[in-house]
Amino acid sequence: MKTRTVNRKQKLNGRYLLPLVLLGYALLYNYYPDKTIEALSKSLSTLLHLLPVFLLVIVLMGIFTALMSAKRIAKLLGKQSGIKGWVISVVGGILSHGSSYIWYQMLANLREQKVSDGLIVTFLYTRAIKLPWLPLMVSYFGYAFTVLLMLYIITGAIIQGMIVEKTSLHK
Amino acid sequence: MDYPSFIQTFLKSVKGFALNLPMLMSAILLTGLFEVFITPDMLSSLFTGHILYDTLIGTISGGVSAGQPFVSYIIGGELLDNGMSYYAVTAFVLSWVTLGIVQLPYEYSLFGGRFTLTRNLLAFIFVLLISFATVQTLKLLS
Repeated sequence: MKTRTVNRKQKLNGRYLLPLVLLGYALLYNYYPDKTIEALSKSLSTLLHLLPVFLLVIVLMGIFTALMSAKRIAKLLGKQSGIKGWVISVVGGILSHGSSYIWYQMLANLREQKVSDGLIVTFLYTRAIKLPWLPLMVSYFGYAFTVLLMLYIITGAIIQGMIVEKTSLHK
Repeated sequence: MDYPSFIQTFLKSVKGFALNLPMLMSAILLTGLFEVFITPDMLSSLFTGHILYDTLIGTISGGVSAGQPFVSYIIGGELLDNGMSYYAVTAFVLSWVTLGIVQLPYEYSLFGGRFTLTRNLLAFIFVLLISFATVQTLKLLS
């Protein structure tokens, strides 16, 4: 499994999917030109919106690797990290901004440095808590609903992380 | 800070991102398509008023939808106004941000099939569990 990951890393990821998606756009443009242009425009707008976050993630990845040895990262966020690891994972997930896929590359790098799968799963699930949108959620669904949902998301994220720890996905 | 070392690791990060750029662009382009072609009206029409069925539909439709989270709040609010259950709406809002069809290929390419399948399966199950727990607790409190 590890060898496959290394081999994959050296190749261009998505070299088959991207042409397929572009072909899909071309086909859809024949039938729904306005909607396809709108989809393209929304995608570009998403890309522009995400650019600062991309930069942040790249810098964070650089800082992580430069400042912390693989051994230290494994100690902080590895299987033996204990409560500290769970807290970092939950808080990091809540504070991380933008779409999940922006963080995938960084998480995959951390995973290679022995960060536990459970903590990655917990991080990704707690990203469901979108701090900037909480006021809007409260206005639509009320305080009680929002607070309860947030508490259950954190609890659920930790339980999922623990389940993944037990199953040892990454040996 | 070891400056040269930081530059090296920074460049390595840039290279890592560059290698994943086509996959990332695919995910972003798919998000645009899903946002435009899967409309709020289309999603609303899937709900029937049956709690269990609607909760399941809420989970699936939230998972295949794409866009900013506030869109799910707006649709969820409209669904509630139209008499849909809190279970279904909670599942819809939660799966919008925890499940994502468009990012599956990217996740698979970086983490492998076993991780991706397990994580998404767990996320799916927990959307249902959290929806029921949230609404039940709300009922108990009120």
